[in-house]
Amino acid sequence: MPKVYIDGTSIEVENGTTILEACEKIGVEIPTLCYLKHLNPAGSCRLCLVEVKGSRLLQTACTTPCAEGMEVTTMNQNIYNARKLVLELLLANHDDGCFSCPNNGKCDFARYCMDYDIEKSPFPRNKEFPPVDESGEFFTYDASKCILCRRCVRTCAELQCNNTYTLKGRGHETMVGLPFNQLFKTSNCVSCGNCVSVCPTGALSTKSGKKYRDWEIKKTQTTCPYCGVGCQIELHTKGNKVVGVEPLDGPANNNLLCVKGKFAYEFINHKDRLTKPMMRKGGKGSPLEEVSWDEAMSHIAEKMLAIKAESGPDSLAGFASARVTNEANYIFMKMMRAAVGTNNVDHCARLCHASTVAGLATTLGSGAMTNSISEVVDSDVILVSGSNTTETHPVIGAKMRQALLRGAKLIVAEPREIDLAKQAEIFLQIRPGTNVAFFNGMMNVVIEEDLLDKEYVENRTEGFEELKTLISEYTPEKVAEICNINAEDLRKAARLYAKAEKASIFYSMGVTQHSTGTAGVMCTSNLALLCGKIGKYGCGVNPLRGQNNVQGACDVGCLPGDYTAYQKVVNPDARAKFEKAWGVSLPDKPGLTITETIGAIESGDIRCLYVMGENPMLSDPDINHVEHALKKCEFLVVQDIFLTETAELADVVLPAGSYAETDGTFTNTERRVQLVCKAIEPVGDSREDWDIINELMDRLGYKNNFSSSSDILDELAGTSPSYGGYSFERLKKEQPQWPCPNKDHPGTPVLHIGKFSRGERAIFKPSPYIPAAELPDEEYPFVLTTGRVLYQYHTRTMTGKSEGLTNIMGTSFIEINPTDAGKLGIANSDKVKVASRRGEVTVEAHVTDKVAEGILFMPFHYKDGPANKLTNNVIDPIAKIPEYKVCAARLEKF
Amino acid sequence: MTENISNCCTDRTVLDKIAAVARNWKGRKDMLIEVLLQAQKLADNAITEDVAEVIAKEMSIPLSTVCNAVSFYAMFSTEKRGKYIIRMCKSAPCHVKGAEDVIKAFEKVLGISCGETTSDGLFTLETCECIGVCDRAPAVMINDEVYGPITPEEVINIITNYRQRREEA
Amino acid sequence: MEETRILLKNIGKINPVSSADYVAAGGYKGLKKAISNPEAIVDIMKDSGLRGRGGAGFPVGLKWSFTKGTPSDQKYIICNADEGEPGTNKDRILMSGDPHSLFEGMAIAGVAVGATKGFIYLRAEYPYLLPILNDAIKDAEAAGFIGKNILGSNLDFEIEIRSGAGAYICGDETALMESIEGKRGEPRYKPPFPGVSGLWGKPTIINNVETLCNVPQIIDKGAEWFRSIGTESCPGTKLFTLSGNINNPGVYEFPMGVNMRTLFKEVGGGCPGGKKLFAVQTGGASGAIINAEMLDMPMDIECCAKAGAVLGAGDLMFIDESINIIDVVENLIEFFVEESCGKCTPCREGNTRLLEFVHKFKDGTAREDDLERLIEIGSFMQVSSLCGLGQASPVPVLSAIKNFPDKFIVKSDERGQN
Repeated sequence: MPKVYIDGTSIEVENGTTILEACEKIGVEIPTLCYLKHLNPAGSCRLCLVEVKGSRLLQTACTTPCAEGMEVTTMNQNIYNARKLVLELLLANHDDGCFSCPNNGKCDFARYCMDYDIEKSPFPRNKEFPPVDESGEFFTYDASKCILCRRCVRTCAELQCNNTYTLKGRGHETMVGLPFNQLFKTSNCVSCGNCVSVCPTGALSTKSGKKYRDWEIKKTQTTCPYCGVGCQIELHTKGNKVVGVEPLDGPANNNLLCVKGKFAYEFINHKDRLTKPMMRKGGKGSPLEEVSWDEAMSHIAEKMLAIKAESGPDSLAGFASARVTNEANYIFMKMMRAAVGTNNVDHCARLCHASTVAGLATTLGSGAMTNSISEVVDSDVILVSGSNTTETHPVIGAKMRQALLRGAKLIVAEPREIDLAKQAEIFLQIRPGTNVAFFNGMMNVVIEEDLLDKEYVENRTEGFEELKTLISEYTPEKVAEICNINAEDLRKAARLYAKAEKASIFYSMGVTQHSTGTAGVMCTSNLALLCGKIGKYGCGVNPLRGQNNVQGACDVGCLPGDYTAYQKVVNPDARAKFEKAWGVSLPDKPGLTITETIGAIESGDIRCLYVMGENPMLSDPDINHVEHALKKCEFLVVQDIFLTETAELADVVLPAGSYAETDGTFTNTERRVQLVCKAIEPVGDSREDWDIINELMDRLGYKNNFSSSSDILDELAGTSPSYGGYSFERLKKEQPQWPCPNKDHPGTPVLHIGKFSRGERAIFKPSPYIPAAELPDEEYPFVLTTGRVLYQYHTRTMTGKSEGLTNIMGTSFIEINPTDAGKLGIANSDKVKVASRRGEVTVEAHVTDKVAEGILFMPFHYKDGPANKLTNNVIDPIAKIPEYKVCAARLEKF
Repeated sequence: MTENISNCCTDRTVLDKIAAVARNWKGRKDMLIEVLLQAQKLADNAITEDVAEVIAKEMSIPLSTVCNAVSFYAMFSTEKRGKYIIRMCKSAPCHVKGAEDVIKAFEKVLGISCGETTSDGLFTLETCECIGVCDRAPAVMINDEVYGPITPEEVINIITNYRQRREEA
Repeated sequence: MEETRILLKNIGKINPVSSADYVAAGGYKGLKKAISNPEAIVDIMKDSGLRGRGGAGFPVGLKWSFTKGTPSDQKYIICNADEGEPGTNKDRILMSGDPHSLFEGMAIAGVAVGATKGFIYLRAEYPYLLPILNDAIKDAEAAGFIGKNILGSNLDFEIEIRSGAGAYICGDETALMESIEGKRGEPRYKPPFPGVSGLWGKPTIINNVETLCNVPQIIDKGAEWFRSIGTESCPGTKLFTLSGNINNPGVYEFPMGVNMRTLFKEVGGGCPGGKKLFAVQTGGASGAIINAEMLDMPMDIECCAKAGAVLGAGDLMFIDESINIIDVVENLIEFFVEESCGKCTPCREGNTRLLEFVHKFKDGTAREDDLERLIEIGSFMQVSSLCGLGQASPVPVLSAIKNFPDKFIVKSDERGQN
């Protein structure tokens, strides 16, 4: 703990603390340009020069560590002159068109020039610059405004790890640019915009930024509405319009964002937003007409009460939403259970991670990420299977790459050669649907080569003997055959994983969306338990949740068998607790899942479906079947922000406020509860989700006592042990991860330390490999697998409104291996007809060796060429999750 | 003078040779400069974009990393150059011994300015900083060979020698 | 005056590739001694008083002690053979004529601090040395002087050559390390110093060729022997490269402290054509330009510094009366504009501004405040640049202004409008 003197003030600091950090601690401001938290210091701009007694040279505060007895002077005439000269030298070649610069009003460089009394540089301009690169969709680069701090270059290389930027030339000629003559559009840029966020001048600026200035916007701290990472953002609003997004230093994202979070906010104020309630006044078949809230609400209440009276509460069902707040989901679930009286409430987690919830709850006692996102950077070995992380959870993908920069090793087991595979130590291109065999093979090697953590297995698990028996069949050679991989690679992967001190498993829908999804999930925990890698920092089994609040929607009880915090409806104690809390009696039998509900509508058992913020018309498997059912549904209510494909079939449509127009909380994939804050008023006559449901419950005869969503969180905290410690007040200051049972509990970054959620011991659940339900045959010779792309999200209700994203990746496609394409005479960009036993679609072919021979890949986002017309709705018997990831298909040139 | 040398398409067989060199150093970023030096010898004394892409791919390093190095070191060029690169030292010890007059002589004999390549693709004339033969100033390097001290009058003989060498080859 | 040939003793006398020749001339005895008592080496080096010959003059034993004292699974020895300083080519002579003395010096350093891997970073401008060095390395490996289990011991020391690709800045120790790592040769900030965190973050000794070539004989003959040569503060001999307007340009070895006039007159033979000496630049491109009247100067680090000159790597560029000194200064600044890496603001932007001011002096359009501004920028660069290049690049112009004030004429009573 060296003690240093800064301008005479003494301060004791940790070893390794820089002068700049010490100055920050005592409130001494030092100007900086190249310095940026989270980046390695560069010491290159030389603006933070200070005097250190005994040194002939001025020292950079950002790089110089404090040493015992060091005497630092942060300002005197010498320092002032030197800093001023640095700024003058930079200003000489900095375009001074500040008038039209989007950075006007927030420019660090301009502010420092003002601080150091510089109006113009005494030196003439002596550099020429290339034209502005306007080729990107979202931002421009103007080298004449660049001051060469290299924050963009370093952010792209060290944090985003995309290495798009290069330095061109050297010395005075040095310029930031892209390799050779590339432009953003032709480069490997993924438009994450993190370079733009860190630019201290207007050199990198957003295209949208031209139309507003810093002083006319309001800034609201909130949580990103896209994937499950839970990035903290600042929404910039001008009037009632969202005009920009900046990253914040949230625990999950540390100032990073992806292209969707940074730029895809156009949907909020989009002209297609629903602004008025609508009804088919003339009954089925008549057009949707705008009506008043009162008319819509009384109609809904009347119909729901009538159906309930005629056919009982279980003839109604509700789909909650992985997109809306915990508070909206809680009140929705409460409506279905307490006001309607049915457990028929589910949401799209059924379609993504139901198998995770079922599988990990069985083996460990809790179906969520065991560890925290930030820990991945410290992992020694990362095993990714069934997750295209850099596209679906881009910020976690970036953090994995940060780990690789620090020397971590990566194992990727995926049917496609995803971007991460290129950096993998071992890439196993497994056949779709063979995850269980793969994990069993890994365990076979671990046991065979005696790499298991015996003490851990002995003391913390049960069921090892059964596991061992089953696993013994899965020799590397046999598994290699099943998965179409190399047995030696499998051995290497198993050794790498087992021997690592800190090894983490990350998976997503590639593991869960199978008819054996639950088995696949349990296999991940089997492997981790076998190697003693659960309940430890930097380890764990980490399911990446697809949507912003899919974790929360599960947590707050939007599941047919669970109240909040996974308290079971079949558990009489739990039921009694909620009956008491809500003052009604509750049904004791679990409700129907999404997939079962569709079937029940078809059979007439369900007469009324209430959908809040979901779009089963694109997201569910076999959508021809879904469409048929929804059209048949006697009374369909859809509450959403757009007229989705599902809403188009509704009898009543209610306009809801987007995340920017509501207060509440989202729970991210690492179990972290974070605030969502209202930045603008709900557009048009739309209303916040919780508010709509609150009124409807009243009309259904159940009176809540909620005057804000904060009140709802308080009730939720009161009934849910793992959420007991949350309140809006606390979440403004800190965002602990659940379990967080009380106000003083610090939250739980790592689950299962010392003891598992399910009890003393975790359980091995050995699972045999069962092939996918539908395998290729002569008629349908290909395996079709589906997934997501970086530039779109879910069914594009939000991203589809972004012009930039549409330009980058606006239409559906199918990936096919060059050999297969050759045989079928298909060239890149050709239109092809893809068919399965359930339907057919026409899409563009992308000929690529990303997929192996015999395999096809399609993204599911698109209305044009919807992959889910083809997918198989066969479900996992335990979790009821559909097998999106494997079906048989054929294709031909269109 | 460089119009007849295309900068975009490097011969496939050359690219294959470069790929073979680069492949030996997969993941070895530290060998990048070595690989670039070798590649340049194979590919018209230049690292063009297609060459850089092959190297990046085979070494598993980002293209930007390759570009970073190429644009930093004086020995690399992104423009195709002649078979013989004439690098005339212009650092002070050669400068005070009349390097400028020798450069002019080269320009005159070759009919090109500094930085250009003769139309037959044989010579590229460049100036460079100290080549470490100050005891023989003014000095010039033609590919790996050093000449010095040289006078403007000797330039024509040196060039003639190289032209003959080519004809013999 | 006779040279004192200690470093150059084998040059031209032995087959440079052959370790047998080198051994016959007394070589590899230091390494044998070192292996018999590795612990003692750093102290011997400290006692010898050897200072770095690359220009900075840092005490070698002290530098080695940092690396020795830093525990690590891997340590490196780097030989800085990026001899880029205009006016210097002594290292080329050593490497082409006696490479084994360099290997021996590196191996001793490795043994002394526990490093098993050495790199010779050879500048790209010396491609013709590569075959000699590579063959000599193979020869030394075959003879067991380097490689695995050197001289039958349980110690390993491998040497690998890495090429530069044309960048003066890579003579800076940290820039050189960046370059070995395959990156742009941009200097790192210090601390941490290479001795503790160098190549790939591992403790690394980096020494100049001439420095390392001194090591074998110091270990063989002892610190006392070495201290008996040269001056109190700078023991040993020094290789001097004479260049510019001089009759006998070349590399010569003399004890530290030899008089500059001796080097000019007796060794160099004066200016050609009977011209009068006007100025001398000492210490390479970034060294001071001194007046011919200051010729009586003992050449060691302290004496040079006292006189406002720089010993540097022992380079002396003589400038006769026919040369325009502003023209030389312009050439030198152009060199730094070309060779600045571009990382830090003062050096990247400052050198071009120095050049603009010098152009004004050359054109005769400079004003009083131009001179003030030139000196201000130069002084600013000296204290605020990231590395030695930017800190030293203003030295030639500032020293020329000081030593030849009448050549920097300003239009009096006219001040600029800025």
